[in-house]
Amino acid sequence: MPRPGFVLDVDKSTPPILFHHGEGFRLEKLPADRTRVIYPGEPLDALDDVDAEIQRALLDPLDMDPLPTLLTPGMKLTIAFDDVSLPLPPMKRPDIRQRVIEAVLDMAATAGVDDVHLIAALALHRRMTEDELRHAVGDRVYDAFAPQGALYNHDAEDPDNLAFLGETKHGEEVEINKRAAESDLLIYVNINIVSMDGGHKSTATGLASYRSIKHHHNVHTMEHSKSFMDRHNSELHHSNWRMGKVIADAGVKVFQIETTINNDTFGDALPMSVLAKREWEWSGKDRVAFVGMQQGLKRLPASTKRKIFQGHRAPYGVTSVSAGAIEPVHEKTLQHCFDQHLVEVEGQTDILTMGLPYICPYNVNSIMNPILVMCLGLGYFFNMYRGKPLVREGGVLIMTHPTPWEFHPVHHPSYIDFFEQVLADTTDPKEIEQKWEKQFAEDEWYRHLYRTSYAYHGVHPFYMWYWGSHALKHLGRVIIVGGDKRAVHRLGFKAASTLNDAFEMAEDVVGRHPTITHLKNPPIVMADVK
Amino acid sequence: MKALRFSRKPGRYVAAGVAGRLAAGKGASVGPLKLVDVDDLKLPADDWVRLRPRLAGICGSDLATIDGHSSRYFEPIVSFPFTPGHEVVGDLEDGSRAVLIPILSCVTRGIDPMCGACSAGRTNRCGRIAFGHLEPGLQTGFCADTGGGWSGELVAHPSQLLPVPEDLSDEAAVMVEPLACAVHAARKVAASGPHQRIAVIGSGTLGLLTIAALRSEDPFGTIIATGKYPHQQGLAKALGADQVVSPRTLPRVVRSLTGAFVLDGGQLTDGVEVVVDCVGSEASLTQALQVVAPGGQIVVVGMPGHTALDLTSLWHRESTISGCYAYTRSDFERALELAQEHDLGRLVSATYPLSRSTEAIEHAANAGARGAVKIAFDLRKPAKAKR
Amino acid sequence: MGHEKGLEKVASSVRAARAKVPPVRALVAQTTFPYRAPTTPLTVEPKPAEQKLLGHYDSGWARKLPARYARFFLTEGVVRPVIAGLAQPERRGLDRLADLDGPVIFAANHHSHLDAGLLITSLPEPHRHQVFAAAAADYFFDTRVKATASALVLNAIPIERTKVGRRSADEAAGLIDDGWSMIIFPEGGRSPDGWGQPFRGGAAYLAIRCGVPVVPIHLAGTGRILPKGKNRPKPQRTVVTFGSPIRADEGERSQAFSDRIESAVAALADEATTDWYSARRRAAAGETPALAGPQSGAWRRTWALTANRKRPSTAKRWPEL
Repeated sequence: MPRPGFVLDVDKSTPPILFHHGEGFRLEKLPADRTRVIYPGEPLDALDDVDAEIQRALLDPLDMDPLPTLLTPGMKLTIAFDDVSLPLPPMKRPDIRQRVIEAVLDMAATAGVDDVHLIAALALHRRMTEDELRHAVGDRVYDAFAPQGALYNHDAEDPDNLAFLGETKHGEEVEINKRAAESDLLIYVNINIVSMDGGHKSTATGLASYRSIKHHHNVHTMEHSKSFMDRHNSELHHSNWRMGKVIADAGVKVFQIETTINNDTFGDALPMSVLAKREWEWSGKDRVAFVGMQQGLKRLPASTKRKIFQGHRAPYGVTSVSAGAIEPVHEKTLQHCFDQHLVEVEGQTDILTMGLPYICPYNVNSIMNPILVMCLGLGYFFNMYRGKPLVREGGVLIMTHPTPWEFHPVHHPSYIDFFEQVLADTTDPKEIEQKWEKQFAEDEWYRHLYRTSYAYHGVHPFYMWYWGSHALKHLGRVIIVGGDKRAVHRLGFKAASTLNDAFEMAEDVVGRHPTITHLKNPPIVMADVK
Repeated sequence: MKALRFSRKPGRYVAAGVAGRLAAGKGASVGPLKLVDVDDLKLPADDWVRLRPRLAGICGSDLATIDGHSSRYFEPIVSFPFTPGHEVVGDLEDGSRAVLIPILSCVTRGIDPMCGACSAGRTNRCGRIAFGHLEPGLQTGFCADTGGGWSGELVAHPSQLLPVPEDLSDEAAVMVEPLACAVHAARKVAASGPHQRIAVIGSGTLGLLTIAALRSEDPFGTIIATGKYPHQQGLAKALGADQVVSPRTLPRVVRSLTGAFVLDGGQLTDGVEVVVDCVGSEASLTQALQVVAPGGQIVVVGMPGHTALDLTSLWHRESTISGCYAYTRSDFERALELAQEHDLGRLVSATYPLSRSTEAIEHAANAGARGAVKIAFDLRKPAKAKR
Repeated sequence: MGHEKGLEKVASSVRAARAKVPPVRALVAQTTFPYRAPTTPLTVEPKPAEQKLLGHYDSGWARKLPARYARFFLTEGVVRPVIAGLAQPERRGLDRLADLDGPVIFAANHHSHLDAGLLITSLPEPHRHQVFAAAAADYFFDTRVKATASALVLNAIPIERTKVGRRSADEAAGLIDDGWSMIIFPEGGRSPDGWGQPFRGGAAYLAIRCGVPVVPIHLAGTGRILPKGKNRPKPQRTVVTFGSPIRADEGERSQAFSDRIESAVAALADEATTDWYSARRRAAAGETPALAGPQSGAWRRTWALTANRKRPSTAKRWPEL
């Protein structure tokens, strides 16, 4: 029976707490009697027979007819699936997308459907490589469709392959992939690792164009998404839901399949398994493995460490598969997500600490650059709440990450320019949006790299910055422990060499003897703040 | 009279070349430059006057000579032994201060009639450069007859002198000579303008002054400057650059500003209309060719020397490279105004007496890394040092 | 005097040096997590320790290649010479195993700790290095050291002595299905007094479940080398007698089959102490002496047991020259 997540009140008997620190770890002794640590729940029990559950979901969907009855010979069928940004870290083979897609294709084959396209719904993310596609959909699917050109990446900048579907009542333009829009049935295969994913956002964002995405990926929306992990209080999701209505009204029939996975991120094998354990339960073996890993990492060059960490595949268990109409499916999925992630927390704190790991949605098989550090901390982790932010308004956020001044030249070209030019000019999201977004979004070279190479769209670093705009507005100060000083300053934050120094610096903002809360993520935990 | 003198000593010159290659500025200790006692110079003609330097700057071309890697091109247009120093502010015999315009044109050489360039006032393009009654020498500071700034005294033709206003500090005045170069370059750029974007490569003395001069001569264009060190970046911004980037990232920034595409070798498909190269190295010229727009111009202000370049893009993109040497009297007059306006005395980071010439030259050769811009010799009598 | 002063000096410098070196305890006290074990926060309920010993011990590693190599060298390099020295075994009836193919269950009587080693070294190839022992979980797997040693040397898996637990039975059956032969002592423990104990049904149950034959084996003499309760061995001659493989009949219940195995071993015991033919005749007449000996008081059992034992000669023999 997996134990749920809980809030630990740190006392003098509490051992040092593990903080993620990029491709490394720190053990930090937290002040007793005024510190809380929010621990994630242990992995929920996985489904015993995933394939049977997929069959069940497809044959008995929510508010829709069984999938086989929706499939007819001669129809146009499109299967869209989540891209390489999900899940994190990537899943051990077989990926759940592969299992679902194979089940769907089996039914399509039985029904005699010939015209099937598979599209990686990557919005403005970088295109997936062949290896990544093979990992996601499996070799069998890849070999059957890719050579015919029927398995490909979505292209948000291809004017010939986008369909304009109308505007929402708020004047938001809806433009999505033409093939998806013109199909008789669009099946979207999700992995819902956090509660932000899925729902109408899958199609309205994943398959949309820049013209459409910019209506919700902006500072205003993000400042009013409190948090974007809580769909019912998220302007980001409200906008996507409005767009979802336009898509439905335009006659696009979506069969939504959502899957959830448990918190089994680090598996049972040492040394990674120690990362999911509670410190006071570390056995002698765990400690030896941990010390060995630390010593090893200390001696390895950064690129080797990155290779090792990026090679980790998580042995997630699948906890649910739901299929059918978007909204009921998504409500069910949210419940499964929250079952795994939510931990009740009483009240806010002065200082929020978090250890940032080596990976975020945008550096799979890549480099975590300073902008992504900001986005992971102030975007994703800060928004891991329901109700109120974990830290009070004007409080301090302390994160640990080496934050090297380093960029992946192929994946993140516009990030480099954003960092060198835009952030050197200003770090204010609104000013950045007004002054610089257009130039980057419409840069032909970035467009070219996005469409033909493996680059994120020119505007993507702006979205990273907007993702953190709610936190930037809310927080009094951000401190990165162990970060490269120049890079941290460029981000507009403060660098500290130790956590204790950071606490000292934070006292300037929040006063003496502040309360501290540590969000012990990953594995994923989301605070339900009362 | 004490003077730092550069003699023709091939052995020492080679040694300086070796040492200079090992570490910048090291040529001073082993090379042919020596502090010596010399006799007073003869006046080459009756109208010449004596100038006692107060401050004399150390210029990049001086360093190239001392470190033994200046081009052989200069051999016939210098005469040994010479006293270097052409960035000079000094006292005249009547006690007034003057800035030296070091160019040795027809009139200083007693050539009559003057060459076409000199009669047109473009003395920097003088057609008789190594001839006349003076020993060869492209400028004061490279000529055996005139002496140079790194000494107690030199001789100058009245046409070479520009009076210094009372309220201009010695430090600002010693910057007038390099600033005149920058003004000359800026005027050249402005003449083909107006321009939308100008890139300035290098934020040494010449680069910084060029930025200042461009800002006043071509006020509308966006100036993108490269600066390796933080103090250079700060000064470049203060003197009028719109954007200062590290040298490595210039192509990336130009690309982003112009929305250009990038070819595999790094060549941009579009770029800035003007690149002013204030470094003159192979690397800077290569970068200039990468980032210049088709049909654009590259103005070489820094002294290049022997350089290997792939000029295919010059041909293919129809860009031009043009040199930009020195100044005219009118450039000097403008520079005098600008020096005042921009408070350029602050660019003189350190001064040394002649007796510490080795240290001074090493400091100048590593000015950027040591947070400095201009290094000068201070020849003022101690009592008068404060002015 | 000078000499003593020198000693004094040495002693004081030793004291000084010791004062400079912090005591080991202080060094240990200085270490912090993760170099020392963590303490549990007061508000947290400690996790119940995971059961990894006794019947829950996972001996899978002992069948991986490195352990198998190690065991080969231990068996041939340590166990065999020790057994040869202590037990000087005479092995009979190996020819009865010639037709065996595939995994079997070796069921033997049990007097001593030596039995397992003696039996393993007596097995013919290919069984000798493709065999595991079913060992009492409460005895061989109660500490980590014993569990590791048992798994490594004997390739033992833990079996509950009193009942056939589902987990241990499944594990044993799985291994037999994978082609491993099993050594089991169906008495469930060493003899307390030299007579046999009733056979338990485990061997028969597994033989029926996996459809493999059982080879009855009788070990004579080990009880005198190292009986239960002694820990200094006395070298003696021993006899290992292999019987013909027997299979369960169609539909035979495991208790009935177990009884057959027991009487097969008893017949072998008879054969070992007398001769084959007369043992066969007694077996046919149903007169084979029971392994368990006479059902009587303790002294008579011992009396009967020692009836045909030769009294060790007290006279000194000539030294062998």
